[in-house]
Amino acid sequence: MGQQGLLTMQTKPNPGLFKRNPPIAGEAEAIERAKNGDADAFSKLYSLHKRRVYTLCLRMLGNVSEAEDMTQEAFLHLFRKLGSFRGESAFSTWLHRLTVNLVLMHLRKKGLQLVSLEETINPSEDDAPKRDFGSRDPQLAGSVDRVTLERAVASLPPGYRMVFVLHDVEGFEHNEIATMLECSTGNSKSQLHKARLKLRELLRQPDQLPPLEGNKEVKQ
Amino acid sequence: MSDLTNVNFDTMTTAQFEDYLPDLFASGDGKVSNDPRFAKFLAANPDCAALVSDLETIAEHAKSLFEPTEDPSDAVWSNIASKLKDEPQE
Repeated sequence: MGQQGLLTMQTKPNPGLFKRNPPIAGEAEAIERAKNGDADAFSKLYSLHKRRVYTLCLRMLGNVSEAEDMTQEAFLHLFRKLGSFRGESAFSTWLHRLTVNLVLMHLRKKGLQLVSLEETINPSEDDAPKRDFGSRDPQLAGSVDRVTLERAVASLPPGYRMVFVLHDVEGFEHNEIATMLECSTGNSKSQLHKARLKLRELLRQPDQLPPLEGNKEVKQ
Repeated sequence: MSDLTNVNFDTMTTAQFEDYLPDLFASGDGKVSNDPRFAKFLAANPDCAALVSDLETIAEHAKSLFEPTEDPSDAVWSNIASKLKDEPQE
């Protein structure tokens, strides 16, 4: 473990960005109109939320084709369930939870058991972060930008990536993640910690990270 | 997970610290480096201080990924619009 940290990341996050789901102009009116079957209003809801829903699906699934399929499913599900939205939480929070649950259902259908994260989607020995207290690691390499971090997250084993995206990116609490993944809160905390340790390893060698699927790196 | 009730944070080993970390990060504001309980330990164990610093940096910068960067292809909306014609709302 090196004593110099990853303190030189080039893209400093704006603290305001992590206010999950601030109000969006015109959203409330579009919701009410869409509830009454207004197709244009539903189209507006799609336009407002497609990027967040798709990016969430892409990060959870790591595959453009599956992410597009799940984005489609999420909005079709939204259309069916919109009448049950009562405004007790932010609409985007409700939509993201709906999306996460659909993606998890999709993964379960594919045979990825999420009931016990430790036993079923724990990575292999090679993928697990190393326990490296007491050793001197090479100094962490230079700076890390947003694209590099995105590539490192995409390289995480699925179980780690899921919890990291839900907690550190999407801002869900451990108890919420535990409910969604049907695991204990302790399990969620442990997986998150391992994910961060693994990211630290990956970020030390950014040149070895594989490119992202799709055209993300071109857009950055 | 770890029971931190009776832990002496000044005399714990680095291995114990590693075991406690998931809970330490999950408690409070998640900023272990700002917690005065660990100041002496981290000062005496620079490797642990570097680990904490790196993990906090990763967590902080993960928030910058919250803003989406990707658009789905136009085919996604075309498929949705096509299927909505036959979809009943609940």
